[in-house]
Amino acid sequence: MLSAEMLASAIRLAVPVIITAVGAIYSERSGVINIGLEGMMIAGCFTGAAVAFYAGPYAGILAAVAAGAFFALIHAVASVHFRVDQIVSGVAINILAYGVVRFSSLSIFKMATTTPHVDCLPKVTIPGLAAVPWLEPLVSKVSPLIFLAFLLIPFTAWVMNRTVFGLRLRSVGEHPLAAETLGVNVYLMKYCGVLISGALAGLSGAYLSIEHTQMYVEGMTQGLGFIALAAMIFGNWMPLGAMWAGLLFGFAQALSLRVVTEAVPYQFIKMVPYILTIVVLAGFVRRSRAPAAVGVPYERGEAA
Amino acid sequence: MTETRTETREETQKETRQTPVRRPRGPRRKYALLDLAAPVLAVLFAMAVASVALLVIGKNPLAVYGTMFAFSFGRLDSVAAILYKATPLIFSGLAVAVGFRAKLFNIGVEGQYLIGAFCASWVGFAVKGLPAAVHLPLVVLAGALGGALWALVPIWLKVKRGVHEVISTIMLNHTAFLLLHYLIADVFMDKTQVIVGGAGSPRVRMPLMEPTALMPKLHGLAALIGVDLPSHSSLNWMLVFGILLAAGLWYLVWRTPFGVELRAVGHNPDAAEAAGINPSAVYFKTFLMSGAIAGLVGLSDLIGHFGYLDIDFPRGYGFTGIAVALVARNNSLGIILAALLFGFLSRGGLGIQVLEKVPMETYVILQGLIILTIVVFWEVIRRYVRARQKREEASADAQC
Amino acid sequence: MTNTTPVLQLQGITKRFPGVVANDRVTFDVGAGEIHAVVGENGAGKSTLMKIVTGLYPPDEGCIIFKGRPVAFRSPGQAIAAGIGIVHQHFMLVDAFTVAENVILGAEPARLGVIDPKTSVRQVSELCDRFGLKVDPAARVEDISVGEQQRVEILKVLYRGAEVIILDEPTAVLVPQEVEELFEHLMALKGQGKTVIFISHKLDEVLRVADVITVLRQGRVVGTVPAAEVTRERLAEMMVGRPVLFDLKRGPAAPGGVVLSVEGLTSVNGSRAVLDDLSLEVRAGEIYGLAGVEGNGQTELAEAIMGLRPVTGGRVTLLGEDVTNLSTGEVRRRRVAYIPEDRHRRGLVLPMTVWENVILGVHRSPEFSRGGRLLFRSILSSTEEAVRRFDVRLASVLAPAQTLSGGNQQKLILAREFRGDPGFILASQPTRGLDIGATEFVRQELLNARDRGAAVLLISADLEEVLSISDRIGVIYNGHIQAEFGRDEADPRTLGAYMTGARTARREGGSVAS
Repeated sequence: MLSAEMLASAIRLAVPVIITAVGAIYSERSGVINIGLEGMMIAGCFTGAAVAFYAGPYAGILAAVAAGAFFALIHAVASVHFRVDQIVSGVAINILAYGVVRFSSLSIFKMATTTPHVDCLPKVTIPGLAAVPWLEPLVSKVSPLIFLAFLLIPFTAWVMNRTVFGLRLRSVGEHPLAAETLGVNVYLMKYCGVLISGALAGLSGAYLSIEHTQMYVEGMTQGLGFIALAAMIFGNWMPLGAMWAGLLFGFAQALSLRVVTEAVPYQFIKMVPYILTIVVLAGFVRRSRAPAAVGVPYERGEAA
Repeated sequence: MTETRTETREETQKETRQTPVRRPRGPRRKYALLDLAAPVLAVLFAMAVASVALLVIGKNPLAVYGTMFAFSFGRLDSVAAILYKATPLIFSGLAVAVGFRAKLFNIGVEGQYLIGAFCASWVGFAVKGLPAAVHLPLVVLAGALGGALWALVPIWLKVKRGVHEVISTIMLNHTAFLLLHYLIADVFMDKTQVIVGGAGSPRVRMPLMEPTALMPKLHGLAALIGVDLPSHSSLNWMLVFGILLAAGLWYLVWRTPFGVELRAVGHNPDAAEAAGINPSAVYFKTFLMSGAIAGLVGLSDLIGHFGYLDIDFPRGYGFTGIAVALVARNNSLGIILAALLFGFLSRGGLGIQVLEKVPMETYVILQGLIILTIVVFWEVIRRYVRARQKREEASADAQC
Repeated sequence: MTNTTPVLQLQGITKRFPGVVANDRVTFDVGAGEIHAVVGENGAGKSTLMKIVTGLYPPDEGCIIFKGRPVAFRSPGQAIAAGIGIVHQHFMLVDAFTVAENVILGAEPARLGVIDPKTSVRQVSELCDRFGLKVDPAARVEDISVGEQQRVEILKVLYRGAEVIILDEPTAVLVPQEVEELFEHLMALKGQGKTVIFISHKLDEVLRVADVITVLRQGRVVGTVPAAEVTRERLAEMMVGRPVLFDLKRGPAAPGGVVLSVEGLTSVNGSRAVLDDLSLEVRAGEIYGLAGVEGNGQTELAEAIMGLRPVTGGRVTLLGEDVTNLSTGEVRRRRVAYIPEDRHRRGLVLPMTVWENVILGVHRSPEFSRGGRLLFRSILSSTEEAVRRFDVRLASVLAPAQTLSGGNQQKLILAREFRGDPGFILASQPTRGLDIGATEFVRQELLNARDRGAAVLLISADLEEVLSISDRIGVIYNGHIQAEFGRDEADPRTLGAYMTGARTARREGGSVAS
């Protein structure tokens, strides 16, 4: 069961969850809940594929990142500046992104639900390791975004713990008033957190459409944005934790794809990630520790 | 810090209280008018923003919106279609709003109404030989039970395990759709469809419901008030039911002890608990009620139009319900009006697709934009009113 | 007025809020290197003034001159950059951060945006040594004591090179022993040439530590005097405008049978025991005052008695009935009144109307609802009566509770809780944040209830309050009753020793099982 192919497949399925979950950490650590990640992923998926179709995969990925960040900007303006309920704003972003993508898909490709086939980034093979038989599926012809995803983990941990930016970002999510009295620009930090989460969700979307499927298909995110949010909670708002949680989902999915038989209807196989998310949250949410001020709108000069 | 600020404010109020003259009510009314204007402004603003998308694809927004109006209100059957489209939205708006009152975010209306529709459909075709007077209420009840059943899981997880209802209900929406797909395609599929269908792909649907399970149309009632509904209109008694339900919920929220509990828990569960109310019980009851109402969302389509449940059963009412509840600020009358507004936008979306070749997804974009703008507008108005009141109090103070 | 040159001059500072002039042409000088106390009652405008000085509010009129130059800070950040820092009464600390992280936040020692944790810890511990402030830079703020947290706040200000340090009611959260330490620190700061502005309403403390005292009343400066030339009585008169003494009508207690009995109560929060084998008894017709430093289990005790928190061991008995782990509604049905410590969080549903708040909890009683319908006539007349009896000033019982002043909100809670003549009253911090008039009112009502035969458990962080109205006093420390005293045998220093855990486990009266 636990073959290298299986592991490789699990990793491929885990990557979008991991990238988005890491993005969610930036947003939540700054105190903003981002329920709109799903919509930002959808925007990334379509924009990535559409731009890649005309201008190649590199441009596609950049465009996807920009598209995710654009919707994140809307979320930031609404929830940081106007202090509207972050969940309401996130839900609106999801609806909006879905509508905009269908509208654009119809207008550009005359198809609401798919784009044409696109080229992916050149696959990477690690020369030495690829010769080892058992490792071969893991290290040969792999999407470079997979490596990027795993680099994001230590990088984010480093940013959070060792940089001025990380310290200030976390302080804003824990106690914004304390941060502001010390001269930290609370709004700026929150904007950064939300925009980074949107950019990464966009990147994750690009991975799905450009790297994984090589085309955009409507509904391809299948709630991955929410699953990523759950993975972040499961991972206790830590990048490494989010990675393990993401791998768990990838593994469960890879496993379930392999047990499709006559006995188990495919609809039930497809339910696995959703049920798993609920089970994991039910088992772990009480043990995790969220940033103290997450979800609470902050009014600048509230001290006054 | 904040505490001392409250104190200063407290001082203020103490002083104003001591003056025997009551504040004139003029300004308050002025602000109430603002509250009414907000939804209208939000819709206009959202339409203006959506114009950007229309301009990008080379359409004249004014012409498109003009077509929307003309198409929607041009003919009686189109107005009937708006009412028909508004019917499920009244239910989904009410379902979301009841949850909101207790600060519960039921994004699961989407899944709950699919399960509700399945249960109703099953009772509708599997139970035979009952008179309509028994069968029809049974079908409606089955819908409500199905919705409540699907709401049971997330509220249990929230109260017992601390899982936020937003994530669990979204996961359950996906699950509900897959389950429904399985039940329709693999378990209850009407096999006669395959044979009869012949050419083309057969419709994947459940068996036809019994005639006794179907909701009567509104033609009779319309005739009473002198309106001759076109025969092809699917407008049915679910609309009246929805309006009555809205009235009933208003009564529940504002006139009953449970309403007090519901609002107290929504505003401040800790204080409610200290006063002897059990917030978990209130959450439970409220969410199940929300789910039961959600279970009725699909019935207008199911028993008022199709008469069977198929795999392409309309989706998205649950999300539109969020927009409806937000625009209406959970107010029952507002929900009816907002449902009509979104019914019109949906109908108009169809119109511009047919006549202007503009994707009807404009409707979805408008939904998202309206949610965003309305909540931003409420906030802006709240700040404006607060600032105005401060200034008025200050100037009143300066005069004495 | 003083022989030092002024470092900070306030000239004609006026700040108006809707309906009130918080500061009215406030003018005084603060000399360099002195400890300058600003005293006044709650609401006299002390905090507003300090917020103006530190840039949280702009003044409507007047100007601030710092080191000879007029300044207009637009944020606390600018004020601290110029050299004026404030230690807030409610600490502004990130609990999840270490002491060092809290200190450096916003002014991090970093190269290219990268922080070296070793450098920051070293810098903070150097600062600790220099000013004699003992605290572990690597400890998490949530794990250290309140006194240490206050030192972190002072460190934050010193780290930024403040010359003027403002402390807003710094002793409110401290026990007597910690107050001593704080005063030593303040002297040390003065010795190093810093200027300290000390905001307080406790005159004894002010007289002990301050060089110069400015008294505010109703937003105006009543006077600025050297501490050596003024008496406590004179200060009190300046502060209140009339000679003050609480005029409580207090007869001798006539204790009856045991009403509340708590035996070996234990409750855990995560892995920590917040209540540890706690036992006490309250009799009819007496006030049992529970003294203690906040965070030693008082909140948890109140919640456990009221059924708001699960109890893992022990028993709570009310009039002989075991009520352990019953729901709040069940407990309340036994003629229990509960005044929660936080009236905004637990006491009232602020956005709801006065009448709704008054019937909350009894809204299902046959008096107020029948057949699932609220009986408005009965509700409104009952509300009007309760509001009248407790002299709650309001425009209308149809108005939201949030439109009431703090004192009136507390009276509204009393009006609700004292209806139906409760047999047991649990009053948690009942006068917190209230002005003198309202405080007096609330204390008198508790005494009246006692005289009517009610058993009262008074939980208060204000030692003076506990001493002034209790018949018996218990000291809670680490979730355990350390000692009990009769009314006449308690004095602040002894209580303080038990409150800090310096002395433990004294038993009195044999009512407590060991």
